[in-house]
This record gives sequence, C-alpha cells and structure tokens, in this order.
Amino acid sequence: MGLLLDIQHLSTSFKNEEREFVAVDDISFSLNQGETIAIVGESGSGKSVTSLSIMRLLNEKSSRISGNILFSRNGHTTDLLKLPERGIRRFRGKEISMIFQEPMTSLNPVLKCGEQVSESLRLHLGMSRQKAKEKTIALFEKVKLPRPEHIYHSYPHQLSGGQKQRIMIAMAISCNPSLLIADEPTTALDVTVQKNILELLKEIQEEYKMSMIFITHDLGIVSELAHQVAIMYKGKIVEAGKVKDIFSAPQHPYTKGLLACKPNLEVRWKSLPTIHDFMKEDEKGGFSSTGRSFSIQDKSLIEDTTEREKRLEDLYKKEPLLTIKNIHKTFSIRGRGWGLSSTKIHAVDDVSFSVYPGETLGLVGESGCGKSTLGKIILRLLEPNSGEIEYGGRNLRNLGTKDMRLMRKKMQVIFQDPYSSLNPIKRIGEAISEPMMVHKIYPSKNACKNATIELLEKVGLKPEHYHCYPHEFSGGQRQRIVIARALSVQPEFIVCDECVSALDVSVQAQIINLLQELKKQHGFSYIFISHDLGVVKYFSDRIAVMHQGKIVEIGEADQVYHSPASEYTRLLIDAIPKLVAV
Amino acid sequence: MNLSYILKKSLYGLIIILSVVFTLSFIFFSFINTDGKAVYEMTGQNTDQKTVDEIKKAYHLDQPVWKQVLYYANDLSVISVYPQEINRRGIKVFTTSQKTWMIKWPYLGKSFQTDRSVGQIISNAMPGTIVLAVTAIIFATFIGVLLGMVAARHQNSFIDRSIIFLASGGMALPSFFAAILISWLLGYVLHHITGLPTWGSLYYVDEYTGEKYLSIRNLILPAFTLGIRPLSVIAQLTRNNVLEIQQMDFIRTAKAKGLPPGKILFRHTLINIANPLITAISGWLGGMLAGAVFVEYIFGWQGIGKILVEGLQKLDYPVVMGSVITITCLFVLLNIIVDFLYAVVDPRVRLKG
Repeated sequence: MGLLLDIQHLSTSFKNEEREFVAVDDISFSLNQGETIAIVGESGSGKSVTSLSIMRLLNEKSSRISGNILFSRNGHTTDLLKLPERGIRRFRGKEISMIFQEPMTSLNPVLKCGEQVSESLRLHLGMSRQKAKEKTIALFEKVKLPRPEHIYHSYPHQLSGGQKQRIMIAMAISCNPSLLIADEPTTALDVTVQKNILELLKEIQEEYKMSMIFITHDLGIVSELAHQVAIMYKGKIVEAGKVKDIFSAPQHPYTKGLLACKPNLEVRWKSLPTIHDFMKEDEKGGFSSTGRSFSIQDKSLIEDTTEREKRLEDLYKKEPLLTIKNIHKTFSIRGRGWGLSSTKIHAVDDVSFSVYPGETLGLVGESGCGKSTLGKIILRLLEPNSGEIEYGGRNLRNLGTKDMRLMRKKMQVIFQDPYSSLNPIKRIGEAISEPMMVHKIYPSKNACKNATIELLEKVGLKPEHYHCYPHEFSGGQRQRIVIARALSVQPEFIVCDECVSALDVSVQAQIINLLQELKKQHGFSYIFISHDLGVVKYFSDRIAVMHQGKIVEIGEADQVYHSPASEYTRLLIDAIPKLVAV
Repeated sequence: MNLSYILKKSLYGLIIILSVVFTLSFIFFSFINTDGKAVYEMTGQNTDQKTVDEIKKAYHLDQPVWKQVLYYANDLSVISVYPQEINRRGIKVFTTSQKTWMIKWPYLGKSFQTDRSVGQIISNAMPGTIVLAVTAIIFATFIGVLLGMVAARHQNSFIDRSIIFLASGGMALPSFFAAILISWLLGYVLHHITGLPTWGSLYYVDEYTGEKYLSIRNLILPAFTLGIRPLSVIAQLTRNNVLEIQQMDFIRTAKAKGLPPGKILFRHTLINIANPLITAISGWLGGMLAGAVFVEYIFGWQGIGKILVEGLQKLDYPVVMGSVITITCLFVLLNIIVDFLYAVVDPRVRLKG
C-alpha cells in the first residue's frame, strides 16, 4: 500500500471583478492506494471545489489554485497542478475519474449511453469501435445493469436515476483508474437506490483496488464506506482521521454538532441539537467550543416516552380535523400514434386517513410515490378524480371558490425549494404581509407591518430584514421566511412538503426545532411530507408510508420504525445509512 | 417516429393547404366579382360588353363565388370531375354520360395577363427561388455556425465582441438597403476585382439562339445579400447556445473523461444545439422560399417573389393565388421535414408525437 495522492496546502479561490472568494483554504491530506477517504461538509464548505481542483475542472480564467497535488503511479510522482492542460487530460478518465451528484444531467441527452462509455475506452486505451463496445457491455454487466446490450443503445432519458448513476460508474471505472472521486453520488437518489449504489461502489472499489475520495454531506454513509474521514467547514479541514476514531471521539465542536444534529433513530431529543449548541462563531469567522455535550444518557434532553404516550392518547380522543376518504388521482400520459392511446398512472390510489388537531402526521415515501400529489390534493391545489376531503366537518370538494379562499386561510403549505417559492422581486416584508392583506386579518396596513415584524422575530429573523429581497438570504433563512409567510394568516393546519429536504443537516435541525416550537405555541396540525424516514420519525406522531400511490402502513411513529408491518417499510428502514457509533 | 406520426403530420399539412386554398380563392374571387376592373386588365379598356361577358363565362366569373371556389378547388385537386367535353391533360379514369373523372396534375389556371398557364409560370420561377434560398441558407449556416463557435470559444475577447457587433449590424440591416448597397459596391464599383454582375438570373438566355445557360456567377451576390441576416441570427444563436451548453453537467463529465476540447465541442456540444439551429434555419429558409421580394427585384432575379409582386401589381389573381398556394405547400413540406429532423437529432423528441 503505497502513497497514491498527497495534497499539500491546496487553496482554491474564485475571483470576479469586485472580490476574491476563497473556497478551499490551505488543506492537506493524503491517500494510500486502495483506501477510501470521505470528505464531509455542508454546502459551501468547499468539498466539491476540492475534488474539481484535483481534476482541474474549474474554469481556469475565474479560479486560482495553489499548492501541490502529488499523484504517484508506477513509481512516478507528478504534480497535477504543474501539468499543462494537454497533460492533465491524460490523467482525467484514465488515472483519475469522477462520478457526479446529478445523474440526470451528467450524461449527454442526445448520445447513446453505450457510446458515452466506449468513447473513454477508445480515447484512452485506443480500442477499436467493436472492442470498445464489447468491453462497455461487459462493464454494464459489472455494474449490474439489466439487459446491458439493450442499455448500450438506450438514451439517458429512457433510464431511471439509479441506472444512470450505474452508467456513470461504468464510465468512471472503464479505464481502471487508480483514483475514483465520487462527488455526492447518491444524494439525488432514493434511499433504497442509494443503498444499492453504495454497495456497488464498495464492491468495485475492493475488486479493482481503487482509491476513492467520497464526498458527501451524510455522515451515515461515511461510516459504511470510508476508512478515513476529513470534515470540512468553510474551506478548511477542521478535523481528519480514521472513521472509527472520529465517530467515537470527535474533537472539534463542528464535528460534534454535525454528528448530533442528524435526528437520532433510537431516541427522541426534546429539541434537536444544532451546530450552534456546540460552537460559537465570532465575527472574523473564528470559532470556539461552547463546551456543551449531548448525551443520550442525559434524561433531561430526551423526550419521556410515557409523557409522549399520554399526549398521544389525549390527541386521538378528539374529533379528527381532517379526514380524507378514498382519494384517487390518475395522470394520463399521452401515448404515441394518433394521440388516442394513453397510459394512466395512479399517482394516488385509494388513500384514506385522518389528522387530529395538534397531531403531526408524517408522510414518507420515495420519489414518485404520490406523496406530494396527495399533499396538493388535500389543499385542493389539484383536483382528485374521486374521493372526499373533510376539514373541520365541511366537505372541501363541495366548497365554491369564495368559501375555499376563506378555507385557505386555515390551511397553509411550505414547499421544498426555498429558492423558487419566493418571488425574487418582492421584498420579504411584502411577501409575508400580502396574505394578511388578502384575508384582511388586520384592520390597517400598519398593523399588518407590525404583525409581519413580529413574525420575522418569531421565526428567528430580524425586523430590519423587512425590506430585504430574497436573494440576500441563505437557504435556511429563506425557509424561515416561507414559514413566516405561512403563519401570517394564522392557520391551524400546515402541509410541509419536503420543507427541510433541500437544507443542510445543521440548518435542517434548526428548522425542525422551529416548527416544533411553533406547534407547541399555536397547536398546529402538520402533515409532514418527506423522503427521509429518520426526520419523519423524529418529527411525527404517526407515520404513513406511501408506496406506488398507496398507503402501505400507518401507525405510531416508533412502532412503525421498530416493528414495521409491511415489507416495503422494512426495506426503507434497512436502507437508511446508520451511524455506527456516536 | 413511426408511420402513423408521419401520416398525422401529413394530414395536418393537408388541412392547412386546403384551408389556405379555400380562404384565398374565396377572398380573391369575391374581389374579382365586385371589382370589374380585373376583367378589363385582361381585355384592355375598350372592350365591348359582349366580349367581357364571354371572357367572364370562359373563366366562370359569371357564377356565384362559392361555385367559383369549387371550380378552382376541382382544378387544383389531383382527382377531378369535369363535364364530358374537356380539354385537359391527364388520365381519364371513367366517363359517365355527363361527367369525366380524371387523375391529373393540379391545374392552377391561366394568367389573366399573358394567358400562359400559371403552373408553367411558377415552375419557371421556382428553381430560381429555390436555388437562391438554399444557397443563401447554406452559406448562412456554415459561416454563422463557424462564427458562433469561434465567438463562444473566445468568450468576451476582442474576436467575440467583434462578431457580436457585426452580427447585430447584420440583423439590423434592412434587406432592400443591403441589396442596393451590395449590388452597387461589389457589382459595380469593385466589379474589376470581384468580376460579379450587378444583376441577373440563374439562367442566362442567349438572345440569338434562345438557349439557356446556367450562370452561377449571378447567384453569388443575391445569395450573399439574402444570407446576411440569417447568418447574423445563426451566429448569435450558436454562440449563446454553445456557451449555455458548455455550462451543463454533461460537458463537465466529458471533460472529466479527458476528452480534448475539439471533441467536446463537436461531439457533445454542437449536437445539443442542433434543435434551436434547425428551428432558426428552417424558419428563415421558409421565409426565403416565399420569395425574397426585394432581393429578387433589385438583382433582377427571376423568382417567385418577383412574379408574386408583378401579379399583385397587375391584378393577375390566378398568378397570385397559384404562387401563394405553392409557397404554402413548400412551407408544409418543410415543416414535415423539420419535425423529422428534430427526431433524428434529439432522441427525446422521439418519445412524443
């Protein structure tokens, strides 16, 4: 096991007209042959920039890379940063290859999948067209694609996300590289698919004796895959070492925070720990530890199970707030030919359940299972084909436009993407106060403004943010704005549609705490839609598991998690990457 | 992409052609009927009423408009019904006591002005227009795509800015002005260098022998003039699309594979901008096939645009109608070809339809 990659004092910065921004700040690490290092960090920590710097895939005009990246093979050591563009091309794809996060967009849509892989073989190994094709098909078999011959001639849009990622893997390993860089390869995939891809990567890595740099934000994956781990925060490696050591005894407060803020599957914190519980940041960007620690032995921080049971018992004595009965929704996809034939897809297939006042119902399922469609149907943003929706004793489907508008005051929604759900040209004060004006909640404009400022403070923002525009905020802050907007009409029922999925774990924890806090204050009922069973389990009283338009299981959260009744739920739970030791 | 798809598109095309035929002939026949002038255009001002009536009868102008429209449609149709005594070329399928059913080429009537068959007039003019339009678009496409790629490659450099500047100028330049300018400058002032004529058609007719010679020399200046605007549009379109595509994730994948820039540009980028390019090119080509009136007029180029304008000036309705219908057919055909091309270059299109 010799040294393969030695990165010394790597810094990468981007410059535009006004200023220079340091994305990677003097990091050093090394990697032996056959070893896997995981680089973990949240968005903006510089982990992807690090990998792109190694491959030199950043725009040369706008970025500046300094330091040394020493790459050794067959006794030769080359500094990748000193190579001319022509020279680095001989390494890309042959010695070092890369898998990206978005399988949907990482393949050229107009070229056949097989050709995109064989292209590499012909370029680097000088294979003939025919030989490259044979090798490609063999590779497709290796990455366990069904019907490799057929897939060779398929186009990317004809394949699923997981299959596309397998093609990316086949492409990456085609020339037997000594180093594979995987940049969040499973983030965009469903958890069950993620599990398969991770298994495949591990298998291939062992078989080919490859080294791997695995970039991720998910600590759970790390413990299953990597030998070493480096935690990045704001462009710096704050802590690095063996996975076992770091997981069992994290030193840096940021690492501690990161490990703690992912909802624990075994116990339920009263409120989720966040990064800020562990470290304080000063104005200059320096940080210090708060010295706090969260231990699952500490009973004062953990929700008491008997208390929870008592609360739930009270909850279900009440009349349900919302009841849906036999909801069906089909979408038809127009077929080929004369436009007469069409395929019907059952997005929601005979779904019934109730939500009680003050309850949080978690709706969990993989992409395409119909959970978001169901959420929209409940809010009547989509009309179901059949079924009934009863809210507070009134049948929503019979309500006219005017009555429904009044109803909307009570029912609000928070969407997934905090970037696109705010109008970019509206000041956030206006965005929040607009619904108040529409529903005439307060008598005067001034009263609305005051209420808005109050709301901003409630969700953890400042009154001076009233006049700011959405682009001035981070993702987490925007989600707070969206929450404030939902609260502005004093609703009693909120649908959270994947509202924390686009956020970093530490921010996710803050938002969940906020939602939890607001629920305590106002007694909201939530439907919490998410693909992340861990988060749903933490946050919900009951969980409904959705699969192919049907509810396969519904029950008390802990019970569903610990003794799942359906096969599918078990599969989902199995697929969650687990932290080995905390 | 399958047979039923092509059939469907053809059916749509047919519907468009039919609606153009009926609408147009209705409008024009209404004009002719209300405005007696058209007949005098044919006969001269001093014709007596009897001759006028005879001519009206010969051209069915004494009939109600809807009947005229049907006569016209019947003439145009491939399968037609005529009274038994008819002097028209075609295959007689069967004859009943009063009617003759026949299969023939569409018949577009005769020019009011020259009494020549409209079909003949158009088929004489069409090659000129097609050659001019196709040459211009090929020139514009090649040079435009090339300039666009060069500009994208050297984004924000002097070259890039110059190309954008020239392309903006080219787009803003009106074609009648460009035609005059180019004809005068390159055909007259710089004639000793370029050796190109200021005007002329695709065929040069020898006045003594009446023989026709192909004259490619005459083509260069009008094609160049006609190509300037599409060239500018295509250059900008190519540049912007190449720059956009180069930001895409799959281009990063291609780079990570170690592909050289040339391969990335030709194999991975250009094919992805084919669709917007085809849209732009076919649009311009269609426009040019409809006759580049000014350019044909100024360069004295015998083409459909020229006969259309002349037909309008002289109220020669059959010629105008025939030209418009021909142009419609060309447009429809072009669109079917374009739809087909979309599916060829972009596999994602093949799913729809």
